[in-house]
Amino acid sequence: MKVGYPRAVHYYDYFPFWAGFFQGLDLELIASPLTNRKILEQGLKKASDETCLPIKLLAGHIQALSGMGVDALFLPRMVSVEEKTYLCPKLLGLPESVFAAVPEGMRILTLDFNVRLGKRRVIRTLEEFAEGLGKTRAEARQGFLLAQNWQERYESRRHEGRSFGESMGEFDPRLAGEAGRTIRFDNPDRDESAAVLTVALVGHPYLTQDNYANLNLVAKLGERAHVRFIEEMEPQGIEQGLQGLHKSVFWSHARKIMGAGAAYIGDEAVDGVIYLSCFGCGTDSMTQDMVARIARQQHKPYMVLTLDEHSGEAGLVTRLEAFLDMTERRVQRESNFSAHG
Amino acid sequence: MLLGNEYYLGVDVGSVSTNLVLLDYEEQVAEALYLRTMGRPMQTIKEGLKQLRAKFPQARIIGVGTTGSARQLAATLLGADVVKNEITAHAVAASRVHPGVQTILEIGGQDSKIICLRDGVVVDFAMNTVCAAGTGSFLDQQAGRLGIPIEQFGPLAIEAQHPVRIAGRCSVFAESDMIHKQQLGHSLEDILAGLCQAMVRNYLNNVGKNKDIRGPILFQGGVAANPGIRKAFEEELGQEIIIPKHFAVMGALGAAYLAQEKLARAQGERTASRFRGLQVVDTEFQASSFDCSGCANHCEVVEILQDQTILARWGDRCGKWSSGKGEQGSVSEVNVR
Repeated sequence: MKVGYPRAVHYYDYFPFWAGFFQGLDLELIASPLTNRKILEQGLKKASDETCLPIKLLAGHIQALSGMGVDALFLPRMVSVEEKTYLCPKLLGLPESVFAAVPEGMRILTLDFNVRLGKRRVIRTLEEFAEGLGKTRAEARQGFLLAQNWQERYESRRHEGRSFGESMGEFDPRLAGEAGRTIRFDNPDRDESAAVLTVALVGHPYLTQDNYANLNLVAKLGERAHVRFIEEMEPQGIEQGLQGLHKSVFWSHARKIMGAGAAYIGDEAVDGVIYLSCFGCGTDSMTQDMVARIARQQHKPYMVLTLDEHSGEAGLVTRLEAFLDMTERRVQRESNFSAHG
Repeated sequence: MLLGNEYYLGVDVGSVSTNLVLLDYEEQVAEALYLRTMGRPMQTIKEGLKQLRAKFPQARIIGVGTTGSARQLAATLLGADVVKNEITAHAVAASRVHPGVQTILEIGGQDSKIICLRDGVVVDFAMNTVCAAGTGSFLDQQAGRLGIPIEQFGPLAIEAQHPVRIAGRCSVFAESDMIHKQQLGHSLEDILAGLCQAMVRNYLNNVGKNKDIRGPILFQGGVAANPGIRKAFEEELGQEIIIPKHFAVMGALGAAYLAQEKLARAQGERTASRFRGLQVVDTEFQASSFDCSGCANHCEVVEILQDQTILARWGDRCGKWSSGKGEQGSVSEVNVR
């Protein structure tokens, strides 16, 4: 049995977990192709126009899978992955909210993944899911162990600073060849002697790591700066970044973005922070402003880039260039004169 | 040291206007042209050069900078030494003509921005997001609807006795609000002044949100020609607003300064400019586009041709065409539109 997993939303965080689980069940789990124009266009047609860009992309990926000869789609409802937090409401609405995008006759496999109910309940859910597919409880428990193992391995690779493509490529063969593809800009103005910057790109991984959706932002940024991501931040760093908040953030992603963003702002090795968001994101509407306040307090160059479904990249490039120019000049000035004069 | 007939050229190709500036040996503006782009940037650039050549037949252009949303296109046509985004270009121009400037308000045809500088360095900036409510095009459109030339918009607005309150959040709502007020019998001046205030409020709430606006404040871009907007800014900010002499062409001026800086850095061996010469005016350029079918992305690739020779291509995501590698690709690979 071949099961398809859309390369969208929580793919970018939890694919190793589910790949490990299905491996343990001796079932094949394959991800849809990398996002491309057709996937985006089909997603826009099938998803509700009220929703956010990542859910629209999800709808497109679901359709892309139907052409790949899969027997079923796996669309888990990820409710909570760590204590005291939830995933965003739009993810809790899956898979029902994207039923309109599922091709007729396609079988959907789903389950509620909710760590808040305790580990025993999680295992029970997985066992029931496995039984539905004709597997044994023992196989499900095996799968769970492998899932945890693969997820931890992926996360520790990211903490070591390995790229997304390299780390995920271990669990998703399709990524192995795609890593490191970049775009070149013929810009006569490129000042080779300019200081190489370090810029933290904070935001949901389904935006920062989807090179089609983000208009190749990472490669463009990579021409002039080392890029850091929130996934590279160890849990202690995130914890530290969250200190001083009046109330804890209870959405997993927002919490991670907020904590890592604040930690990068406080990190002297990071010259600037870019928050990548998209229209229609409820949690970002709050965190982008909370991170902005911290950046302002600490005089760190900070910019919010908002993605939409448009493909014109001129506006993005202008803002990005201006941000890098600004950050370069500030770094040069601070190294010429006394720091933080 | 520059000779009397040597100039730096700055070109700013925006959505609404195309501006050209000649900078002479004393770093003074020898000529500033403000042309309407009219959706045909290539023709407008050539038209601008034609005017420059007519006025300065002896001119030698020794450096070229381009900026604006069509900066890449302009750079390809002209052979630019510097290609810079609008924000940097505006900041450079402002701090050269008014050292010590701390805030730049810039409102152009389709976009508006705010730039904060401290000690001559940009420390913060913002551009408008998707809405064009707070930009010149909207004022243009409303002036057209009310049947007054855009040049009279500002002078009429400052005559107002009791500016009316107009919703500035969205240009569609602003328009219906204006029609309401006009049907109630408010005077034209009061409505125009109300519109200026609404636009300034909208600008400060969106673009200027959370920005540390300190004086001296420079107001530039085409909309700075409108004294009504200037007055509304002064009232809202409680500070004097300075409008530089060449407010409408500051982007082009900044590009010229950047070209000068870049070539001056390599003083001594004085690097030759990449400028293709004023004869560019007589050259025929063609632009065409095609959908690349190399992968599922179907990028729209634009190519600029001069006498069947490809000068540049862009629009592809993978770099196959823009890096020149695509030329080896077979023709059957592309669907020419």
